[in-house]
Amino acid sequence: MQESYQTRASLLLRIRDAQDTQAWGEFVEIYESLIYRVARQQGVQHADALELTQEVLLTVARSINRWDAEPSRGSFRGWLRRVARNLTINYLIRQRRHPQGVGDTDFQSLLAEQPDPHSEESASFDLECRRSLFLRAAQQIQDEFQASTWLAFWNSCVLQQSVKEVAAELEMTPGAIYVARSRVMARLRKCVQEYVERDL
Amino acid sequence: MIAARCQFRQTRLQQLLSGQLNEAMAADVARHIGQCETCRHKLEALAADASWWQEAQQLLSSATTSPVLLTDAPAVSNDRSVIEPLELVSGFLQPGDDPSQLGRLDEFEILEVIGHGGMGIVLKGYDRPLARHVAIKVLAPHYATSGAARRRFAREAQAAAAVVHPHVLAIHGVNGNHRLPYLVMPLVTGPSLQQQIDTQGPLGVLDTLRIGMQAAQGLAAAHAQGLVHRDVKPANILLENGLQRVLLTDFGLARAIDDVSLTHSGVIAGTPQYMSPEQTRGEPVDHRTDLFSLGSVLYTMCAGRPPFRADSTFGVMRKICEAAPRDLREINPEVPAWLSEIVLRLLAKQPDQRFQSAAEVASLLENCLAHLQHPTAVALPEIPGTTSSALVVDHLIARRLLWSLAAAGVLAATSLAAWQLWPQAVENPAVPQPPAASHAPELLEAHTRWRDDLDPTLSTIRTQLQTLAGDEW
Repeated sequence: MQESYQTRASLLLRIRDAQDTQAWGEFVEIYESLIYRVARQQGVQHADALELTQEVLLTVARSINRWDAEPSRGSFRGWLRRVARNLTINYLIRQRRHPQGVGDTDFQSLLAEQPDPHSEESASFDLECRRSLFLRAAQQIQDEFQASTWLAFWNSCVLQQSVKEVAAELEMTPGAIYVARSRVMARLRKCVQEYVERDL
Repeated sequence: MIAARCQFRQTRLQQLLSGQLNEAMAADVARHIGQCETCRHKLEALAADASWWQEAQQLLSSATTSPVLLTDAPAVSNDRSVIEPLELVSGFLQPGDDPSQLGRLDEFEILEVIGHGGMGIVLKGYDRPLARHVAIKVLAPHYATSGAARRRFAREAQAAAAVVHPHVLAIHGVNGNHRLPYLVMPLVTGPSLQQQIDTQGPLGVLDTLRIGMQAAQGLAAAHAQGLVHRDVKPANILLENGLQRVLLTDFGLARAIDDVSLTHSGVIAGTPQYMSPEQTRGEPVDHRTDLFSLGSVLYTMCAGRPPFRADSTFGVMRKICEAAPRDLREINPEVPAWLSEIVLRLLAKQPDQRFQSAAEVASLLENCLAHLQHPTAVALPEIPGTTSSALVVDHLIARRLLWSLAAAGVLAATSLAAWQLWPQAVENPAVPQPPAASHAPELLEAHTRWRDDLDPTLSTIRTQLQTLAGDEW
């Protein structure tokens, strides 16, 4: 009850604008599946990976009052990402050295540690972050194109089918395939860059 | 000639990329780019550096290796793949003789577009030789891109067409040779069960049993031919003649579509809300996956909402795998205990803890219905009990919690659960505790409640933030 009051009070002090609300929503949406994926890639079993996802999000939630709204310290979004990243990587590194259940781990203590930037776990987390951005961007922009334009990109660039094959399949000329996929690529790049600028 | 035209300015290519050139000019440049490697490289470099092309390929393609859990899309609906019906129709139909028609599709006169969704569009057609109206389901172009996908769709549809049963919507014909394959089915005028629940709310016990029984009979017929539906949900259950007759649709198509959808976007089309745990994990499924989904449908009829809900697709899937659904009788006190038992048994996380066949479920529901209609003449059939442990997944944490707490004594259960909860939630315990007959079920329940609490916690924070933002500005 007391913690609840404190959380509320500190949020009141610290959450300055509506953008932070959106930031929190996006954070949960993105990092829920991201943490799970990273954990699974690092050999954590399904059930434990879910457990870890839950613990990390809860720990971040409980730590919100530590966030410092000082502009020089970066955005709320960036802060959320750093905390989630540190917790996940620290847990996975500790797990590799001394296997221990999620339930037996003190996540508060993990908050204080700085993860090794060269560890495999850090690399895996950053790669999945990047993948999230691309996936999200792909989902966002897909509607802006005609189905055939999108497919020209997806089939030739992502699935790496030959341009000749894709052209025949979509009943388009090879030139039109090159143009279509470049248009999608240009838009995709722009969208990902916007995400990066927004510190997503 | 080509060499001379090779002098496209950077700005021209830039205009091409942002779609600013008119059609004729764009076609002209595209024609040249098809032949001139230099200009092609220029265009591609202008779109993005080589590193971007490479990254897009690597990140987006391997996204499809772990299908189910990678979606970041909201759970509500996946409208991204919805296509513009008119865009599709215009390129697809042959001109008709009668201006009141939209056109022709082979031997069918196409009268109107009835609906469209992620999978494709549904047209209302008239079959003149047989003098009947039909519904024609046309696969969306992005699912019909490869010959393999088209063949797969046609094969699944043909298998479904072989199931002839009063509670399975017949398939008159399949055309897999067309550029966009399509199915021809009888035109059903009634609403889907989804529409019924959306407009009328939860159904009464009698209707729930009757609809559940007919759906189970339809499933049993398909299962007998080795066909698994894979996408049993209220939207795929049609109600004809004022709810009297149930018709199951879209047999096996879900799987065919998912496979194609995954390779294209890495995202499962449609809602995961009625999926079984094994389906959400991407494991192989058998006919018992349909029984879990049927349990979710029965639950939805009784409660007016599906058993597993969360803010994100991932959250829904996690609950399907991990959480026990909220007691039906708390939501709708009219639901008899035995019906709640049947639903819970269907919703067991492990397939072998469920009823083992749709036929068994159909006859059980039939007997329950008979009992309800003639309580004095027909006794209530015996309903095999469900253990609480069947409803939560048997995983390490649950077991660890169980052992440590069983040793510590019963008291510890609630206090540990409370310790794990976000403070707000403590004030408002989600489930009243049944008197503890033994330690195990209660401890498992404590565990479930704790797990279940993540979503309320996260949305509480979201609400707080919203309130705060609203207050201040």
